[in-house]
Amino acid sequence: MTATRLVIGLGSPDRGDDAVGPVVARRVARLGLDDVAVLEHEDPTGLIDLWVGADVVVVVDAVCSGGEPGGLVVIETGADAEPLADLAWARTGRGGTHAFGLAAAVELGRALHRLPTRLVLVGVEAAAFEHGAPLSPAVHKVLDAAVGAVVGAVAGSLTAIGEAEVTVDVSR
Amino acid sequence: MSHKLTDGGQVLHVGTLARVEGEGAMHIEIDDGKVTEVQLRIFEPPRFYEAFLRGRAWTEPPDITARICGICPVAYQFSSCMAIEDACGVTVPATIQAMRRLLYCGEWIESHALHIYLLHAPDFLGYPGAIEMAKDHGAAVERGLRLKKAGNDLMTVVGGRSVHPVNVRLGGFYRMPSVAELKALRPVLAQGLEDALATVRLVSTFDFPDMEQPYTYLSLRPEHGYPIDTGSVVTTSGAAFDVRDFPSHITEFHVAHSNALHANLDGEDLPYVVGPLARYTLNHDRLSPLAQAAAREAGLGTTCRNPFRSIIVRSVELVEVFVEALRIIDGWRDGVAPSVPVPARAGEGFGATEAPRGVLFHRYRLAEDGTILDAQIVPPTSQNQPSIEADLRTLTERWVQLSDHDLSHRCEEAIRNYDPCISCATHFLDLTVERS
Repeated sequence: MTATRLVIGLGSPDRGDDAVGPVVARRVARLGLDDVAVLEHEDPTGLIDLWVGADVVVVVDAVCSGGEPGGLVVIETGADAEPLADLAWARTGRGGTHAFGLAAAVELGRALHRLPTRLVLVGVEAAAFEHGAPLSPAVHKVLDAAVGAVVGAVAGSLTAIGEAEVTVDVSR
Repeated sequence: MSHKLTDGGQVLHVGTLARVEGEGAMHIEIDDGKVTEVQLRIFEPPRFYEAFLRGRAWTEPPDITARICGICPVAYQFSSCMAIEDACGVTVPATIQAMRRLLYCGEWIESHALHIYLLHAPDFLGYPGAIEMAKDHGAAVERGLRLKKAGNDLMTVVGGRSVHPVNVRLGGFYRMPSVAELKALRPVLAQGLEDALATVRLVSTFDFPDMEQPYTYLSLRPEHGYPIDTGSVVTTSGAAFDVRDFPSHITEFHVAHSNALHANLDGEDLPYVVGPLARYTLNHDRLSPLAQAAAREAGLGTTCRNPFRSIIVRSVELVEVFVEALRIIDGWRDGVAPSVPVPARAGEGFGATEAPRGVLFHRYRLAEDGTILDAQIVPPTSQNQPSIEADLRTLTERWVQLSDHDLSHRCEEAIRNYDPCISCATHFLDLTVERS
């Protein structure tokens, strides 16, 4: 049976590097991957409903963890994986509405038994979140790498590989 | 949320307090069992919206000011629309006002559902957050998410997006939703009404600390219905004035420890409060019979002055906005003009609506060609800062014998009673208690 696969670009399209999720999602959509649905969304609390029925979900979002702008972080999790480590992605993007961000949405989904079998979080370390600003040069430079990470994740096996965190060096 | 206790030095520090919006800190000093200082320190940088609105066109504030807040953008859109339409001498037809009220219902549903279930209920059920609460109360959290999604769906159909709606313009909307689109929402909203009633029943079972606020309550009061999208100003001290007189009654002032302006009413030292408790207390008679019955069954009287019971009032207001949304949808007819022209003219205009957290006031002064010469925005959380501090002082004095950990937790709960929205950008609040 073919797995249902979904890519979600999370973030505001009009707020600097917070737009990286939607921008990457649009690029993935243009690839026209078979059996892969692509969505954009701003509110992390809506994720739990968005991924209902999907087997493999990739969420791409801006990350603000103190790393070098443009760095990529990939976290694998899923219904049968262990909870994310404390503070993992606690300050992703602009965090969503009222202290409820991506990591909270993932763990709330786990508590409610509403996580997809395999969930991959692709984060792009952001530089700035100014209203109306374009992507920063550092983030713009790694868009292709982020699209590659998303495509690789969504095309991967349905079986969750367990909790893993990978930092991709894209500085060269 | 992390706690770092240093009992020997009588200093308590709570870092990264979730479930409160914006960057701020709480500082409490206790000397020999007496509270000597309470400060809600908001160090969120000033955002200068009022300054950079100057020089912009009169048509732009609904879109610009909506970006102040991700959870209540409709409040900013409609307060700014009303103020600029007032300056231009335009009153929108009742049909447009009804659609504004419908969109506003969506925002209240989103905001109240989020706060009740994901941010506030864990305080009363004894959990550090919604995730831990969901493990034992999954059905309740699912109900909260379902309610929030109903608000999102309503916002999407009327506003074009669930966050930062794009369908609002000066004079009305770019496009009116059709009867068919609105009727399609009916099952979701009908389920939402049932969920809202269940919410009132749930939160009415919580245990609440015994506390009464002596402050003046201030809210809007419209000619008909519960205050949401319009009304003039009333207070529990008996004052009643038009929105255009807001600046002559409400004085904003700066305090050194906060980047958000404080405010007082008629120069009084005693704080005043805006938000659900004020709306309910001043407008109980305007609630629908169903919402009044729900309030009665939850043990609320016609007034409510216990800030911890604000979670019940928010739940009753959820019932009210679902009733109101269904009423508007059932009465809607196709063929309504989406907007009316708002030609520019020189003048000054005033507008106020009830954001989920309380009265949001806007004032604009326009040049003849519509260029904005001056703008003033008074958000609800700014107005509530003095009462938050006063609540914390009362609580600290009453429960000074508690451990630092328990006292700080009680203080955090007192802050969350207000669902404060310091900003929509970042989320942490440090709390320190110093004893000597």
